[in-house]
Amino acid sequence: MADTAALSPSPSLRATALQVLREDAAAWLFVLRAAIALYVTGWLAMRFALPQPSTAMLTVVIVMNRQTGLVLAKSFYRAIGTFAGAAVALLMLSLFPQERVLLLLALASWVGLCAGGALLYRNFTSYGFVLAGYTASIVALPSIDAPLGAFDAAVARISEVMLGILVAGVVSDTVFPSRMRDALRRAAYEQFSHFMEFVRGSTGGTIAREAMENAHLRFVREAIALEDLRSAVIFEDADARARSGRLQLFNQRFMAASTSFQSLHHLINRLLRGGRESTARVLISLYRPIAEALQLPAEAGSTARAMLPPLTAARQRIADGAAPKRAQLGDEQHLDFDTGAALLLRFADEVIAYVDIAASLQAPRLVAGSVEKARFARSNDFFGAALAASHTTLTMLALGIFWIYSAWPSGSSAMLIAAIFCALFAAAPNPVRQAGQSMIGWTFGIAASFAVEFFALSQVDGYGLLIAVTLPLFLLAPYLLTRPTLISYGVGYGMGLIYNLALTNAMHYDPVRFLNDAFAQLVGLGCAVVAFAVAPPVAATRWFQRRQIARLRGQVALAAEAPLAGLAYRFESVNRDLLQQIVARTPPGSDASRALLAWALAVHETGRALIELRQAHAADRLQPPGDTRVSAAIDRLARFYERPDARGYLAARDALAAAIAAAQECLPAQPTAGATLTQLHLLRMALLDGESVIAEYMPRAIATASPLENDHAA
Amino acid sequence: MPREIAVGDALVPGMLLLFVAMLAVLWLLDWAAGRFGLYRHVWHPPLFRVAVFVALFGGLGLLLL
Repeated sequence: MADTAALSPSPSLRATALQVLREDAAAWLFVLRAAIALYVTGWLAMRFALPQPSTAMLTVVIVMNRQTGLVLAKSFYRAIGTFAGAAVALLMLSLFPQERVLLLLALASWVGLCAGGALLYRNFTSYGFVLAGYTASIVALPSIDAPLGAFDAAVARISEVMLGILVAGVVSDTVFPSRMRDALRRAAYEQFSHFMEFVRGSTGGTIAREAMENAHLRFVREAIALEDLRSAVIFEDADARARSGRLQLFNQRFMAASTSFQSLHHLINRLLRGGRESTARVLISLYRPIAEALQLPAEAGSTARAMLPPLTAARQRIADGAAPKRAQLGDEQHLDFDTGAALLLRFADEVIAYVDIAASLQAPRLVAGSVEKARFARSNDFFGAALAASHTTLTMLALGIFWIYSAWPSGSSAMLIAAIFCALFAAAPNPVRQAGQSMIGWTFGIAASFAVEFFALSQVDGYGLLIAVTLPLFLLAPYLLTRPTLISYGVGYGMGLIYNLALTNAMHYDPVRFLNDAFAQLVGLGCAVVAFAVAPPVAATRWFQRRQIARLRGQVALAAEAPLAGLAYRFESVNRDLLQQIVARTPPGSDASRALLAWALAVHETGRALIELRQAHAADRLQPPGDTRVSAAIDRLARFYERPDARGYLAARDALAAAIAAAQECLPAQPTAGATLTQLHLLRMALLDGESVIAEYMPRAIATASPLENDHAA
Repeated sequence: MPREIAVGDALVPGMLLLFVAMLAVLWLLDWAAGRFGLYRHVWHPPLFRVAVFVALFGGLGLLLL
C-alpha cells in the first residue's frame, strides 16, 4: 500500500480541484433541497391558513439532513413523538387547567421522563422521545392563559408539524436524493472483506494482544455502524427493507465468528507462552486449510458464493485431520489439543454460516422463505436514564419557579426554549459545548431575523419577494450543517432565524415584542447551558463510565444465568452496544480506553465460552457429582466478574479445577462429556492468562509464573 | 362522502381520513414492490412512489367527492 502511494505521482491540482468541487456539489445540493423544502412548506402552510406557518418551517429546518434515509427516519419518529407529546399536553391541560404549580410539575416530569427515554435508546427512537418531550411544552405553555383553546392549539401544531415532515420527506426523497443504500452496501462489503483479510493474514497463528484489541474495536465499530445504517436505510429503500432480516443475521454471524476467531488466537498465544509450542504448532497447521480456502481474493469481483465450496472442503479437512494429528501428541497435551480443535471447528462452522448469508445477500433476487430471526439487542441502563430524567425535571422546575415568582410576561418563551434544548442535548456526549455553540448560532439567527423582518420584509409584498429577501440569510443554515465542526452553530442559527421571523399570513411588526421574546429565548438557552455545566448530564460523567464498565463485566453473569434460547446473539450484540457506548465517551488511546478494551476482550471470551459450556452441558449433563461442580464453577466465574477481587479469583479458579477433574473422571464412562470438558478447559486457560486484565487479581506466585504451569495441579 | 366526519366528537375533514388511508395503501404497495423487486423496472423509484400516491389520492378523492 505504502509502496504504491510512493510510486504514483502526486495528484495534480486539477484533480484536487475536481475533488473539492464534487464534495462541495453534494453540500450545495443539500442546501438546495433544504431551501426548496422550506419555502414549499411555508407557501403551503400559508395557503392552508394554518395559524403559525413558522412552526411548519421550523420543522423542516430541524428534520433536514443530508442523507435521505435519515430525513425519513427522523420524520417517522418525529411524527410519533409529536402525537404523543400533543396528547400528553392535552391531558395535562385538562387535568390542571387552573393550577399552574401542578401543571408545571406535571410538565417538568414529562420532559424529564422523555429525556430519560432519550438516553435509554439510541438513534432515532431517542429522537422520538426528545420530540415527545418538547412538543408537550410547545402545546401546553402558550395555552396556559387560554386553556379553552388548547385543543385547537394541539390540532394546529400537529397539522403544521406533519406538513413540514411530509414536504421535507418528499423533497429530500425526490430532488437529487443522496442515498444511504450505497453506504450500507459499502459498509457490509467492507466488514466482510476486512474480516476475511484479517483471518487470511493470520496464518502464522500469532497476533499480538494489542493488534487483537485494535481489531476487536474495529469489528465492534463495524458491527454497530452496519446496524445503525440498516435502521435508517429501511426507511428509504424498499429493497433494503425486504432484506433487513437477512442483514441482521449477517451482522450477528459476523459477531459470532469474530469472537470465536479471537478465542482461538488467544488460546494459541497462551499455548506458545506456556511452553507448549508443539501443541500450538499442530493447531496452527490444522488451521491452515481455512486460511488457504480464503486466499480467493474477495475484492476481485468474486462473489461470496464462490468461497463456499473451498470453505466446506477445508472444514472437512480439519475434521479429518484432527485424529491423526492428535495421535502424534503426548497424552498430557490431548486436553489442550481437543480444546483448540473444538474451537477451530466452531470457528469454521461460523465462517461458513457467515459466508453463506453474505452470498444470499449478494444474490440479485431474494430467495423465497424466511430467515432466522436475529435482533440486534441493545444495552439499556435504567438507573442512568432515571438520573437523566431527574436532572432535566429539576432544570425545568427551577425555571418554572422563577417564572411564577417573577411574573415575567415572556417566561413561557424562556421555558419553552430551555425545554427544547435540554431535551435536544440530553444524550449528547458534550452537551455544554453543543448548547453553547447553539446559543451563539441562535444569537446570530436573532440578529439576522431582526434585520430581515424590520428592514426588508416590511418593504416587500408577496411570497416571491419574501423568498428573495429571506433566502440569502437562510442559505447559511443548511450550509453550516454540512460542516461537521459547525453543526451546532447551524442548528442554532437556522432555528433562531426561522423561529424569530414568525412568518404568518398577516405579519405583525412589533419590535418591542420581538426584542422581549428574543431576550427570553436567550435566557432560556443560557439556562440550558448553565444546567448542563453545573450538573453535567450523567452520560458524560466518569461515574457513569465506571458504571458502564461494571455493566460490561456483568455481561458474564448474563451469559452464566440468562435463559439459553437466543442467548448467544443477545450476548454478542448487547456486549458490542455497551462497548460502543463507552468507547464513544472515552478519548482514544487514553488509559481508560485501554483498560476498557482489555476488559471487553476478557468479558467477551469468557462470556462466549460460558454460553457454549452451558449449551454443551444442557445437551449432555455430567453424572453426579460432576453436574453440580460445573454449575458451581459457572456461578463462581459470574460472581468473580461481577465483583473482581483476589478471593473471588481463587474461588473461581478452584471451582473450575474441581469441575475439570470431575469431567475427566466422567470421561471413560461418558465419552460425550468431551465437549463440556473442552469448554471448561478453555475457561480455565482464559482465567490463568497472565496477559489478560484479570491478571492483577491473581496471587503473585501464579501471575509471575507462566500461565499454564499450574494447569493440571488440581 | 361527507365533508367532515366526527371522530370522537371532533370534526375531521373527510379528505384527511382519505389521505391517511391512501398512505397506508401506499405503504402496502411499497412493501410488495420491495419484496418482489419490482422497483428494478422503474427509473426513479421515489418519484414513482410519489406519482402512485398522487394518482391514488387524487383519483379516489375525485371519485368520492
